[in-house]
Amino acid sequence: MRRTVLALALIGGVFGLLLAGDTAARAQAKKFIVGFVYVGPKDDYGYNYEHDRGRKAVEAKLGSVEVLTAENIPETAEVERVMEQMIQKGAKLLFPTSYGYLDPAINVGKRHPDVVLMHAGGFKHSANVGTYWGYIYNPMYLAGLAAGKVTKTNTIGFVAAHPIPQTLQNINALTYGARSVNPKIQTRVIYTGEWCNPGKAAEAANALIDLGADVLSQHQDCPRPVVETAAKRNVFSVGYHSADLQKFNPKGWITGAAWNWGPLYVRIVQDVMEGKADRWVNTHARGGLESGYVELAPFGTAVPRAVQQAVLARRKEIVDGKYVVFQGPMKDNKGTVLLKEGAKPSFDFIEKMSWYTEGVVGDVPR
Amino acid sequence: MLASVLEGGIRAGTPILYATLGEVIAERAGIVNLGVEGAILVGACAGFITTAQTQSPLLGIAAAALAGGAASLVHAFMVVTVRANQIASGLALMFLCLGVTSFVGRPYVAVKINAVAPLAVPGLSDLPVVGRLLFSHDVLVYGAYLLAPLIWLILFYTKWGLALRAVGERQAVAFASGLPTAVVQYAAVVCGGVLAGVAGAHLSLAYARSWVEGMSNGRGFIAVALVIFATWHPLRAVLGAVIFGAVFALQLQIQARGVALSPYFLDMTPYLLTLVGLLLLARAQRHTMPEGLKEVFEGLK
Amino acid sequence: MARLARLADSRLLIPVRLLGLTALAFVAVGIFLLLFGKNPLAAYRAIFAGAFGSTYGLSEVVVRAIPLMLCAAATAIPARIGLLNVGGEGQLHAGAMAATWGALTLGFLPRAALLPGLVALGLLGGAAAALVPAVLRWAAGVNETISTLLLNYVIVLLVEYVVRGPWKDPLSYNWPFTPEFSDSARLGLYWGTRIHAGLWFALVAIALFYFVLRRTRWGYEVRVIGDNPEAAVRAGIPLGRYILLTMCAGGALAGLAGMAEVCAIQSRLRPGISTGFGYTGFLVSWLALHHPLGIVAMAVLLGVLSVGGDQVQISLGLPYATVNIIMALIFFVVLGSRFRAARTA
Repeated sequence: MRRTVLALALIGGVFGLLLAGDTAARAQAKKFIVGFVYVGPKDDYGYNYEHDRGRKAVEAKLGSVEVLTAENIPETAEVERVMEQMIQKGAKLLFPTSYGYLDPAINVGKRHPDVVLMHAGGFKHSANVGTYWGYIYNPMYLAGLAAGKVTKTNTIGFVAAHPIPQTLQNINALTYGARSVNPKIQTRVIYTGEWCNPGKAAEAANALIDLGADVLSQHQDCPRPVVETAAKRNVFSVGYHSADLQKFNPKGWITGAAWNWGPLYVRIVQDVMEGKADRWVNTHARGGLESGYVELAPFGTAVPRAVQQAVLARRKEIVDGKYVVFQGPMKDNKGTVLLKEGAKPSFDFIEKMSWYTEGVVGDVPR
Repeated sequence: MLASVLEGGIRAGTPILYATLGEVIAERAGIVNLGVEGAILVGACAGFITTAQTQSPLLGIAAAALAGGAASLVHAFMVVTVRANQIASGLALMFLCLGVTSFVGRPYVAVKINAVAPLAVPGLSDLPVVGRLLFSHDVLVYGAYLLAPLIWLILFYTKWGLALRAVGERQAVAFASGLPTAVVQYAAVVCGGVLAGVAGAHLSLAYARSWVEGMSNGRGFIAVALVIFATWHPLRAVLGAVIFGAVFALQLQIQARGVALSPYFLDMTPYLLTLVGLLLLARAQRHTMPEGLKEVFEGLK
Repeated sequence: MARLARLADSRLLIPVRLLGLTALAFVAVGIFLLLFGKNPLAAYRAIFAGAFGSTYGLSEVVVRAIPLMLCAAATAIPARIGLLNVGGEGQLHAGAMAATWGALTLGFLPRAALLPGLVALGLLGGAAAALVPAVLRWAAGVNETISTLLLNYVIVLLVEYVVRGPWKDPLSYNWPFTPEFSDSARLGLYWGTRIHAGLWFALVAIALFYFVLRRTRWGYEVRVIGDNPEAAVRAGIPLGRYILLTMCAGGALAGLAGMAEVCAIQSRLRPGISTGFGYTGFLVSWLALHHPLGIVAMAVLLGVLSVGGDQVQISLGLPYATVNIIMALIFFVVLGSRFRAARTA
């Protein structure tokens, strides 16, 4: 009994101290505070890793900014609380970087009109919520040009998480690019149903190789298992998310589509600090290679010189606006013409993509 | 098609088989350990960290086995010594391992390791069909399928196995006849943990070759279900694990072949199949269930 | 002295001892953190500040405690006759799905008619999900722990299927969620926070649980089965009926939690409506020794830890897993302590 009372007193004392300590911690000097929220670990060599590289660029370029981060935050109601807590700590600008954070971001925005929220890839915006996204299917298309020349089995395997438009853009761009240099190309797709499930991604990669794929690409958050399985079984890799994946399959590396968020993040943070947030909120900021939001990863030794030059030439045409990926004629894999000869794809055509291009095996699962 | 599904089944079934075999040993001694889910995680994490530090996958596997065993020791203590509820203690262990490995393994997410390489069996791997199917995997795959008959022999044809089963069937009788029942149960649970640890090693060192928190993804729970499905028999556990692995692989391969079925529907099949298996085999299971488990599985409380 | 010992064993002191054990777990985690060169006091301060440092933090503790209370009841009710329902997660999703179906098809109804209907659907959905393992247990002897665990995966996948397939919002640019519910299908939020009417559901459910258990014939028979199932059967208590009844009652409450999550917090169905509420609820129930009042206290405690866990990460850069370790250790200490067999209430 006495012990219990003692323990209780002790707990009470500690809590008191904690509270005192916390109030002390709040009275600190004011810096501009930016919060980053990630759905996975920030060094997964994938989606989160790249957003975190952007965060590092902000810290390196803008000394007067303090950064808060939170990782492994599920796409649930939790994220709303995490954002609120960042705001409580003084954050004025938030980057909820995951797909499923859109509704929570809009909700938080409603409660805090003075805070700016920038969501990655969303299709809704509001008075203080903007979205940004890079058309990473552009470098995916370029990677396809290289992959189509490198493959020996004419089969590309694609491990995807979910059949959403952004993923379909990548599958289609890669296939379209590869087929434009090698019409025999077939792409086989497996959906794992989870943004990061290493065991399943590895099995999916194995299954694709078993079915004859000798080039593997992917769209899910933790890309290592797929690239490492490609290395283990001596097939080629087209990277996704990060150029740094090359080191996991150095022998079979073709190239890849990579994010380059640093410059964009620095620009957004600077603008918001200077009171020019209206450039970013209530709108969708989109950009591709020409804006530097995305980049083509360095080529691996597997790609012949001539192919590299051809790909880089096409890259320049895209940057110069002379070539548009998914320009007409575009057909789906049933032969239906979706875009007439010479027509340019609209915002909706890209962002609502729900079909497979010629060469992709099967139907988009409903 | 059949060959590639089987190949996938063998590959994907390996970690599940290790965990299932381990759980067979523990349950034969009358202890259910839902903490295998956690022991797999601990093995995956410890194995990965050790390999990252030493560059030796072999040391990694050893560390995984040790760590899995150590984690299960906690369960053994809770249920044998403290006599806590087996199911609850197992889940508590799962929670604890999930937390500890996420914490300890965090700095290793970005690390590249020297993974367990595939090892084609010389001569045999060149055989048509079976060569690829059976003889071009990594050491841990061979190990799992060799271990099953070994455990079967030990359980049913050695003094140790007899003692273990005696404890699982009639603990009081075993105790009265002078068997150190507590020691036997501790040993069985720890052995089970060691195998679960190796299952984890296969996941992180050979299969996915990376560490991510929670990467066991329910394989431990599946193992516990498969033990019942396999009616506590190590050889039938092989069957169970390969079938489960094959269904898992099949649903991925069906997609790659362009059959437009929802991946989410396909994902359900392994779980539903296990459930149906449990239902259909319910009578046979009750027949062979170690007496000591009846209290846990069928008793109330 | 003897009187003191009796007092120390008395039921009245159980909460105090639980608190002491919880403190013990904190000390153990503190040592763990020290081993890894982290400052445990800073971590605890962050948890404390996150949960109690602001009204928002406090309100979020309550928001978190709502599904935990209901899911804990889903474990506790069957646990009273010795069944281990680990299916809270699946039952929650089933309830959410049923309520979503109602909200989407009957959204035109006025609020006063719709909301009670959605509550009923949530309850029914959860109960249906629990009925399967209950029947399997009753008719074929399939262990309910295993079957509920397996069903969790199935039901969560079913949600993934419907939100990406038949129920997908046609205006969502192919994003995986259902259309937003009409206003009449939404539960009220209070005081500018996310605290919602689910709080009353949870409290009423817990109070009913307490009342039924102590004051009714059902509760009496449940307690008899819990004490000695064989004696109960000999006394003519229909065991099978109680297996079905307790499992379904538990499942219904978890389903209600799911209904509240979609109708109050999300206002649509989408993947990830629960962060393991079902599993954490199981933990809550065990920490509370399956006692209704204990469930309220422990749900709040785990709510504090979850809400505080964000702060640990934001302020200190420690993994969120830190609080998972604390939760698991509390679970272990309580499980291992002597009154594990105590059946109160």
